Amino acid sequence: MENKKILIIEDDANLRNVLEEFFEAEKMLVKTASDGESGLKSLRDFLPDVVLLDIILPKKDGYEIIKEIKSDEKIKDIPVILLTNLGGLNDIEKALALGATTYLVKGDYQVKEIVEKVKEVLET
Amino acid sequence: MFSENFQLHTKMSWLKNDLNLKKDAGYLGLSVWQSPGTLYLMWGFLIIFLIGIVFWVAGDSVDPVRLVITEFLVISTMLVIGNILIKTIDKLARVNRSKSEFVSIISHQLKTPLTGVSWEVELFNTKYKDGLTEKQREILKNIEMSNAVISRMVNDLLDVARIDQNNLFTKKEEIDIVSVIRKVIEKNEVLGKDNNIKIKFLVDDNMPKIIGDEKKTEVVLDNLISNAVKYNKRGGEVLIKVSRDAGKATISIRDNGIGIPKEDQAMIFEKFFRSDNAATQEVGGTGLGLFIAKNIIERGGGKIWFHSTEGEGSVFFVALPLV
Repeated sequence: MENKKILIIEDDANLRNVLEEFFEAEKMLVKTASDGESGLKSLRDFLPDVVLLDIILPKKDGYEIIKEIKSDEKIKDIPVILLTNLGGLNDIEKALALGATTYLVKGDYQVKEIVEKVKEVLET
Repeated sequence: MFSENFQLHTKMSWLKNDLNLKKDAGYLGLSVWQSPGTLYLMWGFLIIFLIGIVFWVAGDSVDPVRLVITEFLVISTMLVIGNILIKTIDKLARVNRSKSEFVSIISHQLKTPLTGVSWEVELFNTKYKDGLTEKQREILKNIEMSNAVISRMVNDLLDVARIDQNNLFTKKEEIDIVSVIRKVIEKNEVLGKDNNIKIKFLVDDNMPKIIGDEKKTEVVLDNLISNAVKYNKRGGEVLIKVSRDAGKATISIRDNGIGIPKEDQAMIFEKFFRSDNAATQEVGGTGLGLFIAKNIIERGGGKIWFHSTEGEGSVFFVALPLV
């Protein structure tokens, strides 16, 4: 985990800050974005080892972002962990079909469990 | 945030339109004759007319003109009744769907701030816990617990709406069921303290992992175990066992509480159903837990059932597929 780069794309400031503090405590290099467009820009500039991505975002939603990631040779292998409160079958199937690595429903997890999931993804 | 509000606004106005019953008040009028169902019936009408002609040509005594008039009246009446029924069913289905969509939109809006409270408290308890007094810690714990209660209700409503819309997703992941049960027991021991209820746990050695959705299985087990605690008698016992047989792990949760009356047993997994003896126990409940449990377990390829005797207690079983 140490020195691995993580990008958090989340529009809710509270949630974003809590996530940032937890991943910084793991000594990861954290960058955050609060909307889809700046998130995508950070993806290309920062080249993270993993991205935590919300679905409902201003300017460009999570589905659009995954599509762009998967069609860009430079970033297409970055694992995408969707972290959202949309948890219906249609939302999840759509995200997985687009190529998300895994899907976590925010409200169901404590932050320390999310940290564990990120660890698992980084180790595989 | 803007897009969410916008989405909510459009859905709300759609819902309002949907509930506007006046809009379709003209369905007894000419529109009946323009529906696709009418077209098929007109073909039927034509065929009957042709059969009449054939009978007439063959020298039978059937008068084709009278036959046509009779059939016309019969079919018209059927058509009008049929269309009223179809429209009514359709309207009910739409109202029901709108209700489910409404519930899921509202619940989703509620989940972000609830997640915020839960995560902020967790951050407090992790990073900023040093120097807190006992009282402050207790207050934080209470905030956490109250928030968990609301979150649970919102999740239940969301799950019910998803079940109604056939939109419930369950993951297929490998789960260490024993640790999930231990976690749920720990949570419920607090609940049983006031009534001095003991929770016992027996498990087969080397229990393999099961396949299912970890978070949702936890919800189901929490539901069953908290019921066993809540509806138990003072000083009672909850016995939880996990065993393996033929590709399945079977979890049983036995209590010696009030039991389920025989006449209610067939309805216990129905939405909103609460047995009379449960409702009079002054124990909170929405009647959604078992309905959700059954849907989650069956969607994951498992089974849920129970035996119960009123006044003696219940035992609930959950069978889940092993890895």
